[in-house]
Amino acid sequence: MKRRDFMVGALAASAGAATGASAKVSTPYDFNTMPPLDDREAFIEWAKTNRGEDERFLSERWSRYRAVVANKDVATDRDKRAFLMTPREEFVLKKNLRRAYDHAFLDIDYGVTISGPHIVSRMTTVIDVKQGDKVLEIGTGSGYQSAYLANLTDKVWTIEIIKPLAERTRGIYDALIAKGYTEYKAIASRASDGYYGWEEAGPFDKIIVTCGIDHVPPPLLQQLTTGGVMVIPVGPPGAQRVLKVRKEEAPDKSIQVTRSDIYGGRIVPFVPFTKLEGDAIKGTHNK
Amino acid sequence: MTLPARLVPTEMRLDLPLYFAVALLAGAVIALQIGIMRVFSVGNWAHFGSLVVSLAMLGFGLTSAAMCVTTAWFERHWKGAAGLSLLLFGPLAVGSNLLAQQVPFNAIFLVSDPSQKWRLAANFLLYLIPFLAGAVFLGTMFLKAREAFPKVYFADLAGSGLCGLVFLGAMYVVLPANLIVVPLGLWFLAGLLWFASLRSLSFLAGLVAAAILSLGLHFALPAKTGIPTLATSDYKGVAYARKFPDAARVYQAASPFGLIEVYSSSYLHFAPGLSDNAAFNLKKMPSNAYLGMYIDGDGPIGIIRKLPADETAYFRFLPMIYPYLLKEAPETFVVQLGGGISTSVALAGGSTSVTVAEGNPAILSALRDDRFLRDFTGDLLRDPRVSAVDQDGRLFLARTDRRYDVIDLSLADSAGLSNPGGFAIVEKFGYTREAMAAYMRALKDGGILSVTLWNKEEPPKSVLKLYATMAEAAKEAGGDPAKSFFAASSYLSTTTVLYKSGGFTPDEIEKLRAHTKAMSFDVLYHPGFEVDEGAAKATLENYRNQIFFDMAALRKDAAAPEGEPPPGGDLPPPGVESDAEPTVLPSVTLGRLAWKRLLTGGWDEFSRGYVFDSRVLTNDRPYFAAYVRPADLPRVTDRLELLQDEWGYLLIWATFGVACLAALALVLLPVAFGWRTIFSRQRGKAGTITYFACLGLGYIVVEVGLISNFVLALSNATVSASVLITGMLVFSGFGSFVSERFIPRARTTMPVVFAAIVALLVAYALALPLVLDAIGALPYGLRLLACFALIFPPAFLMGFPMPTAMSWLARLEKESMFVWAWGINGSFSVVGAALVPILATSFGMGSVLLVAACAYLIAVPAFFSVLKPKPA
Repeated sequence: MKRRDFMVGALAASAGAATGASAKVSTPYDFNTMPPLDDREAFIEWAKTNRGEDERFLSERWSRYRAVVANKDVATDRDKRAFLMTPREEFVLKKNLRRAYDHAFLDIDYGVTISGPHIVSRMTTVIDVKQGDKVLEIGTGSGYQSAYLANLTDKVWTIEIIKPLAERTRGIYDALIAKGYTEYKAIASRASDGYYGWEEAGPFDKIIVTCGIDHVPPPLLQQLTTGGVMVIPVGPPGAQRVLKVRKEEAPDKSIQVTRSDIYGGRIVPFVPFTKLEGDAIKGTHNK
Repeated sequence: MTLPARLVPTEMRLDLPLYFAVALLAGAVIALQIGIMRVFSVGNWAHFGSLVVSLAMLGFGLTSAAMCVTTAWFERHWKGAAGLSLLLFGPLAVGSNLLAQQVPFNAIFLVSDPSQKWRLAANFLLYLIPFLAGAVFLGTMFLKAREAFPKVYFADLAGSGLCGLVFLGAMYVVLPANLIVVPLGLWFLAGLLWFASLRSLSFLAGLVAAAILSLGLHFALPAKTGIPTLATSDYKGVAYARKFPDAARVYQAASPFGLIEVYSSSYLHFAPGLSDNAAFNLKKMPSNAYLGMYIDGDGPIGIIRKLPADETAYFRFLPMIYPYLLKEAPETFVVQLGGGISTSVALAGGSTSVTVAEGNPAILSALRDDRFLRDFTGDLLRDPRVSAVDQDGRLFLARTDRRYDVIDLSLADSAGLSNPGGFAIVEKFGYTREAMAAYMRALKDGGILSVTLWNKEEPPKSVLKLYATMAEAAKEAGGDPAKSFFAASSYLSTTTVLYKSGGFTPDEIEKLRAHTKAMSFDVLYHPGFEVDEGAAKATLENYRNQIFFDMAALRKDAAAPEGEPPPGGDLPPPGVESDAEPTVLPSVTLGRLAWKRLLTGGWDEFSRGYVFDSRVLTNDRPYFAAYVRPADLPRVTDRLELLQDEWGYLLIWATFGVACLAALALVLLPVAFGWRTIFSRQRGKAGTITYFACLGLGYIVVEVGLISNFVLALSNATVSASVLITGMLVFSGFGSFVSERFIPRARTTMPVVFAAIVALLVAYALALPLVLDAIGALPYGLRLLACFALIFPPAFLMGFPMPTAMSWLARLEKESMFVWAWGINGSFSVVGAALVPILATSFGMGSVLLVAACAYLIAVPAFFSVLKPKPA
């Protein structure tokens, strides 16, 4: 890969330094547990009790969740659950804690960003991760994307090219696991060149590439199962278009790859950064 | 001429060393400007360099406004004011730079992160400080020596111009982080001359101390503390390469053509536009096949290793292979060498000879002369089949009598995967209608022109301009364009257009279609291709709505109670659309419709209906930028992040806005403080303001506008800028010097001078592209001479108006007006500099000179206001 462009991911100042935003998780993780999806107060109460999370971030998470739902960036209750169960505040830099649930991408050092919550949700929803799917992420970055995935499947692999960032994010996972976020045990991570994928762990049902590249790396296409889907954001952050690549078997048994957008071939309005007040979008950050 | 006895300055007569001091300090100021721009180019984003520097130049306006209301004080304390400001310039320049580099800002977060605005403001204010010191010194000189203004002005202009040349030379030997030593050196010499002439030992001692302090601040302090003197943004291309565990810098060279760095790392992978199908048809991709080349930290451009034949199999899956599918053993011309990949593909494609051009001598010299790079590339440029041309391919092909089977222009620029800001607005003369026509003319009968461009925008922008430009060039070239094109693209990857002289045969079309299918690319056009016109209206409307949807409706929808329809209309939930998914992507439909309209009629209407400007590139308007139409600008302010790749363009509008406000404030400041007091007894105030505003604007508009124009002949923006800065300032300085003789007769001579300036500018606006194109064919030395000769007439005459009017203000004892006039001139220079790119991108470079001509025309009646004497 040429170099890290702008990637999905997140956190804190030094390796393993948790933000201190949450206490210990009191209830063991269970894929079948469903937090309240329709009521702000009930959700906050539930998460405080079962996850030991901070009320302020829970409130912000709920507001962003409403915007994500309104924008159809999540489709099913499983997607909604994954969004609500992932503490984004643990994956942003301390200096950006107050903006953890903003629409915008945020700096996480090393020339890398944590993508905005909408694009993370949208990309994850597009690859439609089933329980038990094997998912590979190229570009660990902040770790937020894989943390989100870990709420959809228990088989996640993630590769980061920048070693100190990979180590920092691994530290965050380990600290969170120690705190009781046992779902992150599903994440296998390493620092290496994502261009070559993770051959010994493949093939993968879904691949998310979150770094700049002038072509789709052939090794990744090879490690994708037939019928598998890969998504890649292209372009500058904020104006990223997501490329969706599907690997299929043609009637003549040959393998075909098709490129498409994630909007089903429709031209949809691009929503700029929105500003939330309560549950309502009150304009953009630019006005 | 002789001045009336009462006006001969009594306190101060400038002798030669003092003129030199003025010249050197003016040179230090311009060297500092270029130095700061280099720091921003290498560490951050070039556009912010221009922004910071042009706003810092407002320091001159600010100083003049302040001096204008305190003229009497400066009259009395001129020695101290000049001495102190001179003394401080060096340490302030170094200190400001060092501090500014500790508060780096990041353009990509400018919209989303509020703190970035303050960082930008801090940069602007810090870089303003040394210019204030320079302005106080020069302003005091102008004020004190106002009777000899034409000579002082000559020193100022000629000093600036020649020191610009000194800076250009220094760029060959000094790395960008240390280029600040050039203004420091000039400043030190200026100080030596000045204080020695005045025999001021204490100031001389102070100067030496200040110089030691400055050098210490720049070299010793950072070395000791580890703070950077040039902070490279983490988001610059080169910053990523440096983070790869096995990265090693294998080459570095600084020159006016940029800081070139080459890194080796196993983490660098290039295969621009590779078909996805390569994954299932190739055993493996070659590893360690590239080095990454970065110019001013931007890139990478992949330098290709000499690959054994069995490792070049993947070339077949690159879009640039297309022409070699049809041509056997062709004689090939590669328009731009870059990192050599097109040349390697041409050789692997069976070319019997490859002529390759490169307009950047620094790249050519790296690949031709550096031992390591020669070994890595297998000495590509010395391959017996390869001959290199050290000029733009466009210029070479326009002049040569040789004809080629294949002419290739593929992905000449780096992958452009990220930019710390947005995409720069640069002249792309290689992609203009004129250039395309030259390529088409240089084809043998049946020869193929192959152009590949990145297709990573959605909605598509640059590719539409390319299609329109090539189609129009083909019409000029003759033949039937509808039979001569083939176009194919890959979604969010690349697009390739083939033009065949004389048209494609059915067999060839079939071959190209089969290959396109095998690559899973999308055919956009071939002779006989059918397109459903019915989709045109909806496609255009939807693309327009994609950007300019109704935000109010969106808000209303989003605020609706739960359970009601969310925004996005009938947007399907993602991931579940496979059944309903149309087989053709909107961008492909758009491309197909565009080609049909371009070749069979109806393009103008189609283009007007599209969300972005898709007019052709011409030598007058050679920009892949400015896609947002000026009329749409008010509607993008609340959705800037959707147009992040247009920030370069949007920034010039922002700069223009800020410059106008600042200029207005600087005009109003003295007015508010002194209209009824200082200026009350001076007639013709409004006319005088208009006059100097017109001069400031007109002069800089010509200078900056011609820099873009002259790239046409000189092939390189840095050389062009140097030639123009030096030529304009030195010749105008000469004009200023000569103008002294005509001061008493100004009432009759100046209208003639103005008429000549206006006539020249109008003539240049009309004829310059043709003349420069012809000059481009000459050997480089002659090109430089011809360019200087072209600059001389207008520049010489444009040296007259300013000193003539200033001398008259001095003669008429309008001292406050005198100082103020200089500031107005400076403030409107900033406005003019910001106006040029807006005019050039929207209306073409010819319009720039016409606007300048208008400014000089308006100055004629205004000149007579300047001559109005004070009431008795």
